[in-house]
Order: sequence, then structure tokens, then C-alpha cells
Amino acid sequence: MLSFQNTKCECGHQNPIGTVLCENCGKPLEEAEEAGKDTPLEMRYDGIARRSQKSNPGIIDRVWNFFSSVKIAVRLIVITLLAAIVGTIFTQENAFVSFDPSTYYEEKYGWIGKVYYELGLSNTYESWWFIGLLVMIGTSLVICSLDRVLPLYRALSKQQVRKHGEFLSRQKTVYTADIKGDEAAWIGGLAEQLKRKRYRVKTDGTALLAEKNRFSRWGPYINHIGLIIFLLAVLLRSIPGWSMDNYISVPEGEVVQIPDTSYYLKNEKFTVDYYTDEELPEGLKGTARAKLYETKAVLYECTANCDDPSVQPELEEVKRHNIIVNDPLSYKGLKAYQFGFDDTPRLKAVNPVLIDKESGKTYGPFELDMRNPKLIYTLGDYTLELRQKYMDFTLDSSGNPTTKSREPNAPAFIFLLKGADLPAEGVPYMYFPKQNDKERFSQDTINGETGKRFEIKVPSMEGVAFTGAITSLNVRTDYAMPYIWVGAGIFMFGVLIGTYWQHRRIWLRIDEGRLLLGAHTNKNNYGMRADVASALRGIGIDIEPKSLDNGGNKS
Amino acid sequence: MKKNRRTIQIIILLGVVLLGGYAIGNALFSSNDSLPQKGDTPPDFALLGLDGKTHRLADYKGKALIINFWGTFCPGCVYETPDLQRQYAKHKDKPFEIVGINLGEDEFTVNNFVKQYDVSYTILFDNNRNVERKYGLRSYPTTFFVRPDGTIMDIFVGPMTEKDIDERVTELLQS
Repeated sequence: MLSFQNTKCECGHQNPIGTVLCENCGKPLEEAEEAGKDTPLEMRYDGIARRSQKSNPGIIDRVWNFFSSVKIAVRLIVITLLAAIVGTIFTQENAFVSFDPSTYYEEKYGWIGKVYYELGLSNTYESWWFIGLLVMIGTSLVICSLDRVLPLYRALSKQQVRKHGEFLSRQKTVYTADIKGDEAAWIGGLAEQLKRKRYRVKTDGTALLAEKNRFSRWGPYINHIGLIIFLLAVLLRSIPGWSMDNYISVPEGEVVQIPDTSYYLKNEKFTVDYYTDEELPEGLKGTARAKLYETKAVLYECTANCDDPSVQPELEEVKRHNIIVNDPLSYKGLKAYQFGFDDTPRLKAVNPVLIDKESGKTYGPFELDMRNPKLIYTLGDYTLELRQKYMDFTLDSSGNPTTKSREPNAPAFIFLLKGADLPAEGVPYMYFPKQNDKERFSQDTINGETGKRFEIKVPSMEGVAFTGAITSLNVRTDYAMPYIWVGAGIFMFGVLIGTYWQHRRIWLRIDEGRLLLGAHTNKNNYGMRADVASALRGIGIDIEPKSLDNGGNKS
Repeated sequence: MKKNRRTIQIIILLGVVLLGGYAIGNALFSSNDSLPQKGDTPPDFALLGLDGKTHRLADYKGKALIINFWGTFCPGCVYETPDLQRQYAKHKDKPFEIVGINLGEDEFTVNNFVKQYDVSYTILFDNNRNVERKYGLRSYPTTFFVRPDGTIMDIFVGPMTEKDIDERVTELLQS
């Protein structure tokens, strides 16, 4: 292609290198592949040369030409699609709130998971090479479009009405006949018919060019602009502050700060409703099927003392919303989605009494908070001093009491019991609020003699308070979203005008009473032939649309 | 016309290199959800201390700093506490601080523990565990060694022996 090429057409027009069909008269250029055959012409981009085609490219030209090639673009897209497919094989790392990826994939999927993780495929969509592919596709979009749309625009805006005979006879829709009578009148009659079909008609003596829906040629370029805006918007999201994706857990009745923002969210009430058996079909009866997850949420904005934990932040209510699945709380681009919940009952506080088994007297009740207990409880003749507490009681390897976690799963309290009839330094008493822990760790044995006389216990279930359910919310902001929608909208608009309309052109010339008509469309040749046949029928030439077919049609 | 075209080509290719370079660079260097790594500056915090005051990371600027995440429920944390305290006492007169960030336990528990182990370095409460998350903790204890210039020298996951601490503190004090 880059060898010497005579680009001057016999009509006298000097064409740029790479031209397939003369820009002026449409004659296939001799050295081009198209010349000398009688098959339908390759009409892509009207046979014009791509903008960047050159005889001796430098480095910039080579890079440019690389991205300008549709073949390369298609390969890039295929590779990207394959990579995207691979990324869907195992769950991606960003789907987890907190876990250790270096062991997770191997444990869950075996050696293939390990390989998957080590190749970085567990983070496919954020990997540098995947982003690199997207960048290359973006570049290719810009360069491919630019290289084609400008020459195409120029070619289409200064079309020659009288085209070369070979250009006409090698279209996919061709009609020839001998014309009797006045040629100009004949052309005028046909022009009238074509105008009724909303063609724009230009004549030049005994030649005619009728054209409609040229705008559909710009469809692909418009959709490329949409895609480029889309890609740039996606890129925007990586700038700090443009997007956030956080998870917060809010126990019922509590207010929690949304990390990295000045917003606080309160969970006033969390509800999870299940379907009753009557509402469920046969096969699902007896299973827990959720009907509703709802967080009654209040969003606050911090107005003062936001960054100082030693003083209470001043909060101002800005939004109240009942979050259910697919109906997030939304405020100024911040959205809180229902993500999960934990309604395992956790002890919040108990209201036990102290019983003196010898005298049969009961002292109390007193409120014992699991998380922030008071240190001294005065109960009539006796006082209880809190000495130690364990949220999740256990014994460590050397037999010392310790806690397994920070959650009140097996709370235990060590009090110092003091009273007039007891030793002055007091006697220790260990208390397990949960009945099963009391038995499991044999509270009575631990307390020994003291345990025989005294007992701390909750008289009824009314004396037990549980913390409410914890709701998990996914809090997101995505300020690039409007741009993504705009890009997507432009893309759809481009696809629409490029798909639902077709650029149709009819050329004809009459040379010494011989009519030669050629017609071209980029798709739906059937419709093209029907247009031509119907226009001819309008001036009295009855012809089957099928007979206009010059072969080579796929549509 | 020809010159114009070359200028446009260069502008577009430059744009691609800049934007593409930014995108790819971002993907390359901000991996692991921007969790702190060796050489990074640790994430900022403002936490309530056992002394009732607010402590910020910025307060420790210019000093060698150990940030130790701990809880009474974590045996490894309990194990290394006396060693940390010994190191703290040993380098008392040097620009060196230890900050123990408690992993969301209550004041009573923390107070008891501090008394029991005679801890005299700064203890902070991370009540809603935001700082823990910011520092990307996956297991306890985790300890960050921060140079006086504010960069992370080392991150130690798991319980440390006195030797582990001593070596690192010596290195910290030399930098």
C-alpha cells in the first residue's frame, strides 16, 4: 500500500495516498485493489483515504496509525472482553468488606485460586493492565474517529453529481435503460418522484444525485464521543473525593459517623420481616424468607466539634428516610443502601438482685450495664465494688481468666462484696449473667463459701435488656455519575441515529440516451431497491425491485 | 493545514499519555485499597485518650513513634505489653513515644488492664473502630513503627518479642 501509487484520476483530480475511489468522480483508482473488476465496489468511507495515511511515516505517524486501525481496535476490544470474562470467574476482592485475600482464594478454590490471586486476577478491573487496555481502546476511539470522520465529512459535503460510469455500474443497486425523448424532462420527472420520497435532489445537466438521511452517517462518531465521555467520567472516579464506597454498622438506637465525611447516621429502628408459611409456596414452607429489611435512618451533618472526640459533636438533622432494599437514603449525592444486618441478641444490661440466702432478704435490683458498668453499687446493708469484668469469659493457656473478644458473648463480673457482717476487705464474688455460662464455668464452685450464702441473680426476664439489631449499610458517593449518564445518553443517541436510519444515495447519468443508475446505502439494500423501483414506477417504468440487484448483497 | 494536523496529533497523543498515565499509575500505585505500606505516612487520627484528652497523630511529629493496636481479648497483645512498657521506660528521655490504640473496648476494662500491667505510655480509645479500619488491620496485634519524619519504617503483624521491639526501636532512634 505504501509503494508508489499514482493517485491522479483520469478526471484530473489529485487524490491523497490510500484513496480507493476517486474523491471527485468515484472511479476506482487503477492501482487500488478495487480497480478492473466488475464486482460491487467497496464503499466504506466512500472510498476516501484515512486522514493519517502517509507514504513515509515517522514515529508519531506509526503510533498514530497503530491506533487508527480498526483491526487493532477490534483486537483490543476482544482482548479486553476476554480479560473481563476471566475477572468474573472468582469473586473479586472489592466485593468483600474485610478479608485476607492472600489466603482466601487458596482456601476456597484450591491451587487454581492461588494462581488466580497471584496473577492479580482477583483484582482484574483495577489492575494496571486492564486500565491500560481501556486507555488504549479510548485512544483508538479518538484516533479512529478523527481519522475517518473529517475526510468523510469533507467528501460528503462536496459530492460530485456526475460520477464515473464504472462507479455507478458497480454499485449494489443498478439500473440501465435507453431513454426516449427529452433527457432533461425525464430527469425532472424522476427528481419529482424522489423528492416525494424525501430525497434531496441535485442535478447537473443530465446527471442526478438524490440523497437522504445523511445524518445517520454521523451516528457511529456520536456514539464514540459518548463512549469517550463515559471513559473519562470513569477516570474521574479515581480522583480522591469523587467517589466513596464504605460500609458502616449501626446498632439500633446509636449514631455512627460515616468515615471520611462530616455525616453521622442514626439507626432508629431496624426491622426484618419474614414471610409466614401461609404466604410461601409449598416447597419453601418452613424456611426463613425475608419480606422486608428496613432501617429507619436519620442523617445528621456535623456543624461543630467534628474532629475532637473529647467533646460531643454538634449534629444537625438533614434527612430522615426509611431505607429498604433498592430504596437508599439519598442526600446531596450520598447514598446509604441496606446491605446486611445482625440481629443476634446481645446482652446490653441486666437488673439483678443480691439475695442473702441465710436471712432470705433480697437487695436491689441494680442495673448492671455490660459495656459501661458503674463501679460501685450500694444495696442496703451491702455494697458491691466492681473489680474486673470479661466480655467473653474464658481461661487462657495458663489457666488465668481472660476475654476472648470484645462482644458480650459470655460476660463475667468480679465484685467485691462488702458489708458489716463480712470481712473489712470484702469477699470476692464472681457473677455470670447468662445462665448457661453460670453452669459452664461453675459459678457456685468458684464462689465457694460466699456462694453458699449470697447469690446475685436476675429475678425475671424483664430484668434483661438486649441491644437492638445491627444494620449494615453501604454508603456511597459518586459525583461522576451524571457524566456517566450523559456519556451513556450520547452513546445511545449515536447508536439510535446510526441504526434506525440509513444513508441512501442514488446517482444517475444519461449519456446519449443511455441511462445508467446506481444506488448505494450502508444497510438495508432491500429498502434502497424498493425506493428506486417506486420512483421509477412513478414515471411509468414498471420494474421488480429484485431485478435491480447487482449482486454482492447481504441485506 | 499539514502543520496544523501534526499539532493536533501531538496534542491528542500527549493527552492520551497524560490521562492514560494517570489512570494506569493510579492502578499501579494505589493498590490494596490505599492501606498504609512501608514508607507511607500513616493515616491521621484524632482519638480520646485514657487521660480524657484528644490525641492526634500530628502531636507526635518529629518523634520516633510506635503505634500499637491492642485489646485485652487478644492474647498476643497482652503478651507483648510488658515488653513495650519496658522499652518505653528505657527510652524515656529520648524523643520517642508509644501509642496504644485499644480496639473498641470500654474504659473500665482498659483501665483495669493498664493498672494491672503498669502501662505508662499513651492509651487511646478507638470506639467505633474507624482508625482500625483506616489502618487496614487484619489481625491483632499489629504494630506500626513510625520514623521521626512521619514515614512508616515497619509494620509488625502478630505478637512481638522484646528483641523484635528492641531492634526496631534502635533503628527508629537512629533515623
